[in-house]
Amino acid sequence: MRLSRPLILATAAALALSACSGGDKVDTGGGGGGGGGGKVLVAAVSAQPDKFDPHTTSAYPSFQVLENVYDTLVVPNPDDLTMEPSLAESWKTSADNLTWTFTLRDGVKFHDGSDFDSADVAYSYNRIIKDKLANSYRFANVTSIETPDPKTVVINLTKPTPNLLALIGAFKGMAIVSEGAAEKLDLNTKENGTGPFTLESSDSSKTVLKAFPDYWGGKPKIDGVEFRYITEPAAALTALKAGEVNWTDNVPPQDIDSLKDDKEVDLESTASVDYWYMSMNFARKPFDNPKVRQAIATAVDREAVTEAAKFGAARANETAIPEGSFFYNDYAPFKPDAGKAKQLLQEAGVSTPLDMGLMVTDEFPESVTAAQVIASELEPIGINVKVETLDFATWLDREAKGEFDAFMLSWLGNIDPADFYEQQHITGGSSNYQGYSNPKVDQLLTQAATEVDQDKRKELYDEASTMIVDDVSYLYLYNPDVVQAWTPGLKGYKIRADRAINFENVELP
Amino acid sequence: MVLIGVSLLVFSLIHLVKGDPVRLALGTRFSQQTYEALQHRNGLDQPLVQQYFTWAGRALTGDLGVSFRSGDTVTSLIGERLPATLTLAFAAVLLALLIAVPLGTISALRPRSFVDRFATVISQIGISVPDFWLAIVLILVFAGTLGWLPTGGYVPLTEDPLGWLQRLVLPAIAAGVVSGSVLTRFVRSSVLEAMGSDHVRTAQAKGLPGRQVFGWHVLRNALLPLVTVTGVQLAYLLSGVVVVEIVFSWPGLGQLALQAVRSRDYPVLQGAILLFALVFLVINLVVDLLYSRIDPRIRR
Repeated sequence: MRLSRPLILATAAALALSACSGGDKVDTGGGGGGGGGGKVLVAAVSAQPDKFDPHTTSAYPSFQVLENVYDTLVVPNPDDLTMEPSLAESWKTSADNLTWTFTLRDGVKFHDGSDFDSADVAYSYNRIIKDKLANSYRFANVTSIETPDPKTVVINLTKPTPNLLALIGAFKGMAIVSEGAAEKLDLNTKENGTGPFTLESSDSSKTVLKAFPDYWGGKPKIDGVEFRYITEPAAALTALKAGEVNWTDNVPPQDIDSLKDDKEVDLESTASVDYWYMSMNFARKPFDNPKVRQAIATAVDREAVTEAAKFGAARANETAIPEGSFFYNDYAPFKPDAGKAKQLLQEAGVSTPLDMGLMVTDEFPESVTAAQVIASELEPIGINVKVETLDFATWLDREAKGEFDAFMLSWLGNIDPADFYEQQHITGGSSNYQGYSNPKVDQLLTQAATEVDQDKRKELYDEASTMIVDDVSYLYLYNPDVVQAWTPGLKGYKIRADRAINFENVELP
Repeated sequence: MVLIGVSLLVFSLIHLVKGDPVRLALGTRFSQQTYEALQHRNGLDQPLVQQYFTWAGRALTGDLGVSFRSGDTVTSLIGERLPATLTLAFAAVLLALLIAVPLGTISALRPRSFVDRFATVISQIGISVPDFWLAIVLILVFAGTLGWLPTGGYVPLTEDPLGWLQRLVLPAIAAGVVSGSVLTRFVRSSVLEAMGSDHVRTAQAKGLPGRQVFGWHVLRNALLPLVTVTGVQLAYLLSGVVVVEIVFSWPGLGQLALQAVRSRDYPVLQGAILLFALVFLVINLVVDLLYSRIDPRIRR
């Protein structure tokens, strides 16, 4: 048995190591956070943030951290995502809806100890506008930002903008940094925000936050947060069960059902405001024919797609906005029916079999699975789908150049209906890669964008989205669930439909 | 010279691949002015030839540029990840040698024995088992069920020596098993070959004790090809074992390079590939030097 010596050695070494750690659970220093003996929440997220400048990053892992470091003037309520006060205490609009006046909160301090006032707001917004940063489109209607006194900010508009609050508050990409921060600090690695935590350090293994004692909402109950990057979901779940981490959003989809009854973890899920869709190229025959698109929309069984792609952790939907939201449009004209789909193809005068490329990206593995299901559902009606799996960069390139028959992707974190429908479906819209154009829809979307009466606005969007669904500009598939899991006994955490993760009120067991 | 060639090749290949770093960086919604502003800031609006010379000129002075994605300098990004990569690569090669040398030698000394067959089967399995599967099984068993070791992560040796070792064990096994299997086969065949050579027969014929024949005449000759193959394995591990790094949350160069490819972060990708080329050159040089130490014929 001399042979197996290396194996014995390896096992012995593992045993010795575990013995040194002195316990059946490995001490990873999670509770200590490098001394101090306080309570640090360890969160397993799936990727490293790219940078911490809220105005220039577009990466979700960065916003997971920034959510806890910065504030915005207004913020989406955790329950229904309506906008509520944050750095702004109250606001009012002028009679012509062209001037918004915000009154700022008293006693707010930045992490460097300086006081927050209107100059910081003007500086932050003007930075986004002047440097033409990614979010500058959110100020498209803004003519000027005035600061008559330290507690007041006035935003002047070219036209009524009913979704201004969502534009300036939907996420921390619109964060308020202190005046001059971009010149004084390297905002990619440092911060000076007003949020509940300060950014202590970040490297290729972890990002560490510390509670900010002078936070205007009261000092957090935990002493800090440590974000660890665990890309592999099975590893993240094992780490959670082993007590190495307290919280994760990286739950293996196939395990969700079994975890619901697991005493070792608390698991929660809620419908998100993200949606997955498929779209066809209006510039390519025969997809320019609405009957062909409707045939495909009729052949696709959204429930089956949802089950395959997300193991049921998603809700099938034929429009973009999820059920339960104020702007939800209860409209579902397509029932899966192969016979009717075939008939529509015949009416369109299309000879089958018809070849169709369906472009997906391995950046989102669920889209690859979904595309395969769609392919199998379109085969019986005589459409041969060739699933093209590309890396995201190539995918985006081909989308922009219009080199596709059809593609699948998602939109993430939308709050206002304008985010859901406008640029995707208005003629020449910046995200209208499929080339949809319907003058009636254009008119409805344009009118809705400036309609200040909420009920009236909903009617307009309902009408527009009904036409968008009928014309199959997008073939809507489903709204995925947000699924997160944490240590039993962790209190004060609220799962949110917009995937913002906020540890301000969390208490560790 | 080689490095200049590599840099030219890398630069042109990278730019041949489809994908636009500016579009990737901006996310989903942006205006044309925003696009142009960022393109200009990253220097991507210049002609390609000019971009190359700007980059190559700075690279000569040790400045590899700034990452589009994070805004950090490429040298600091690579420098941050180099210790983790070195640690894992050397640990994996060490583990591989610890398995391969004894197992391969015994197999060669007793061909077709139980031991030999066992080694053949084991190394066959080791080569064919997918590393991501092995890595996940290791985590589930040793970190999950048994709870002996952490699931992953990395701490510097200087900060926490025990934690460093605990976190190293599983990834080193996952990364070392393939190399170990390859090397086992190599050791076996080169020892067998040396055993059958004329000078070994002569040594045995003149009555040298078995141990001396083996140590002096067989091992020394068998070592030469082993050094080469070990060098290749080490170079491969040093250029990053992406899958193992991802599963074990090991912050190595492989993950950095993969992320750079995905986001078309040209400066980081160029810097990483340049470094990998350099690693191959250095390892080749070391292998050549070792050769001359082991084989006196080369020294002449």
